[in-house]
Amino acid sequence: MLDYLKYCLSPLLMSIAAYGLWVGGAHSWLGLGALLGVLFFDAFLEPDHSIRDTRYPWLYDLIISITLLSGGAMLFFYAHLVAIGHFATTASAIGAFVTMLFIQFVVTAPCLHELFHRENLLLRTLGRAGLVLIFDPWREITHVVTHHMAVGTPDDPDYGRRGTNVYSHFVRTFREQIKESYHLEKMMWTKRERAWYDPRNGWVQRAALLVVFSAALFAVGGLKGMLLSIAICLLGPRTLLEVFNYTQHYGLVTATPGRFEARHTWNHLTPFVRILALEITNHRGHHEDSYRPFYELIPDRTGPKQPQFLMCVFMALVPPLWFMMVKPLLKHWDNHYATPQEREIARAENIRAGWAELNEDEPEHHQGQFAAQAA
Amino acid sequence: MDGSTPTASKAGYCRITVQGSETSFEVKKGELLLLAALEQGIDYPHNCRVGTCGSCKTHLIDGRISPLVDFALSPLTNQQLKGGYVLACQAKVRSDLTVNVKLGHHALLPVKSVSSRVVGYRRLPGEVLDLRLQLDAPLRFNAGQFATIAASGSFVRRSYSFYDLPPAPDSAGATEVGFLVKRLPGGQFSEWLFAEDRTGTKIWLEAPFGMMGIDDPDVYGLCVAGGTGLAPILSIVADRLQRSATARFTIVFGVRTAADDFGKPYLDALIAQANGRVRVVNILSHEPKDSGWQGARGFVTDALDEKLGVDYRKTAAFICGSLPMVEAVEKKLLGLGVDAERIHADKFLPAR
Repeated sequence: MLDYLKYCLSPLLMSIAAYGLWVGGAHSWLGLGALLGVLFFDAFLEPDHSIRDTRYPWLYDLIISITLLSGGAMLFFYAHLVAIGHFATTASAIGAFVTMLFIQFVVTAPCLHELFHRENLLLRTLGRAGLVLIFDPWREITHVVTHHMAVGTPDDPDYGRRGTNVYSHFVRTFREQIKESYHLEKMMWTKRERAWYDPRNGWVQRAALLVVFSAALFAVGGLKGMLLSIAICLLGPRTLLEVFNYTQHYGLVTATPGRFEARHTWNHLTPFVRILALEITNHRGHHEDSYRPFYELIPDRTGPKQPQFLMCVFMALVPPLWFMMVKPLLKHWDNHYATPQEREIARAENIRAGWAELNEDEPEHHQGQFAAQAA
Repeated sequence: MDGSTPTASKAGYCRITVQGSETSFEVKKGELLLLAALEQGIDYPHNCRVGTCGSCKTHLIDGRISPLVDFALSPLTNQQLKGGYVLACQAKVRSDLTVNVKLGHHALLPVKSVSSRVVGYRRLPGEVLDLRLQLDAPLRFNAGQFATIAASGSFVRRSYSFYDLPPAPDSAGATEVGFLVKRLPGGQFSEWLFAEDRTGTKIWLEAPFGMMGIDDPDVYGLCVAGGTGLAPILSIVADRLQRSATARFTIVFGVRTAADDFGKPYLDALIAQANGRVRVVNILSHEPKDSGWQGARGFVTDALDEKLGVDYRKTAAFICGSLPMVEAVEKKLLGLGVDAERIHADKFLPAR
């Protein structure tokens, strides 16, 4: 039963955070401290290649469903505490805010991602409704349709192209996701011969969901509670999710868009990251079959790997550190994982990024005339 | 694949029964229908395999699938969605299925990734380019199939039909292949290709894909091509002329104006080798009224009528061109009595 208990770590951390918020004062930082403590400890551990017990899948589903619902309850609890002036000092207010940012990112976001990928209608509906916790119900469509189909190409808004830092990635990914969401929504209402405002259209329902969610936050937390809670959703899980995406496929290229291969993702397989991220950093199987539940994902022992995930997030936020870490990994990927055609794309990408040194010591130097001119 | 009467499938597997044929096969529950069929050597119609071309359109008669993406985002029309059509490449099998789909009846050729160099770069009228590639490894393909090509170092891939006669079945494959490329304003690949002579440039091909030229080799062939849709028609007709001593063909070829007619030398060459078995009807959609053009005017659909002198009920139709053109031609041909099973179409979809 240990495998099942492992995934109780997320609700446990959330409970610690909630307790800290309830006590207030310096304890507001408690949840953040516990979370970072676990993740720092994890950084010293070896990769975990174990496969989960799958005898009682319903138990996993129950745990993550409860975790997601707890994430929602936690946000309303926070809004309520803000409304009653619970965080009297600036330090406690900041502590509560930052704790909420990271708890919602690390604990809640993986649950909603996992659930909106599910085929079971109840679980999928829960995951879709849970998207209000990142204040972007459209994230599902650009993820499931665009990201999963175009991974490893510049057509994927989630793709961190070689040479881009995380801040320019933010600008590009949000802009392109908005454009892509509009494009996909329009395609759906046009195809189904509906008016753009037809209440059956997905975007209308998603917008209504956000309005109801905001109104509920306002009812519980007043204007300040609502605004701070929405800010947590946007700055925490919503934005940090893009840091995750940035790291997860950074610089990897595919010559066969739409046909995912194991080499087209990085993997982060340390034990606590696997647990807290619901195996999403154990990424190969998720792209091979996006319906496959997290407990059935098998770690890729031989796939491309990055350093521990928390370290990657911190390094991504400091671009020179990120580039220092990722460039040798990319060079290794080019020489050991890429197909000949992908190697040529990678070389062109290195030139484009200003990283020509990654092309040194190659048996053949070909800069890719097309990419240099047209991409 | 087996030809036996459908039987109960073993645990964890679902039986797929193809209506109107003797084909049935088993697929592991949760697998993608197209992928599983192809892995078993079943000649399931397909092209892109990622839900964008619509070639694996399948009528789901009975059973349950889960779509990987909303089919409203695919080329399926609203009527097709309501009518129970799905894309096999995006359909995860959830139960035993009964489907209606036109399977091929020839051996599938393996898809290969091959590098090549541009050895032919010839500009033709109508902003069309004849691109010839010398392959670094031989490649086999069937008439009507296409390749996906990308310049070395580029993410940008585009699909073009082979216009050559396919290599002989007993040969190792073609070592040089040709494509007709239309310049599309703003198109990433075609604009790059047209910018300068690309002779010597390295190009990657992935092929072969698609299936269009399959039918009784002796049946009368009505071929309708719009613009560079002529490419697979040239291949199909050349192939069928070789495989049948009696088959005859009418090719309806549409371009905008007489000045855009890039196809004449290709069609003349085909006629020269056909010994009177190929007839070409050129039709122009935007030819100035005061020009000296004596031939047919209008869209390709306007050429399809009783005056064409074709026995539509005994004809196999091969159509290639833009999606609206192909759909309009299909509709017209059905109205004229062509058997739906004998309409073979390749729709050109512009890249996003």
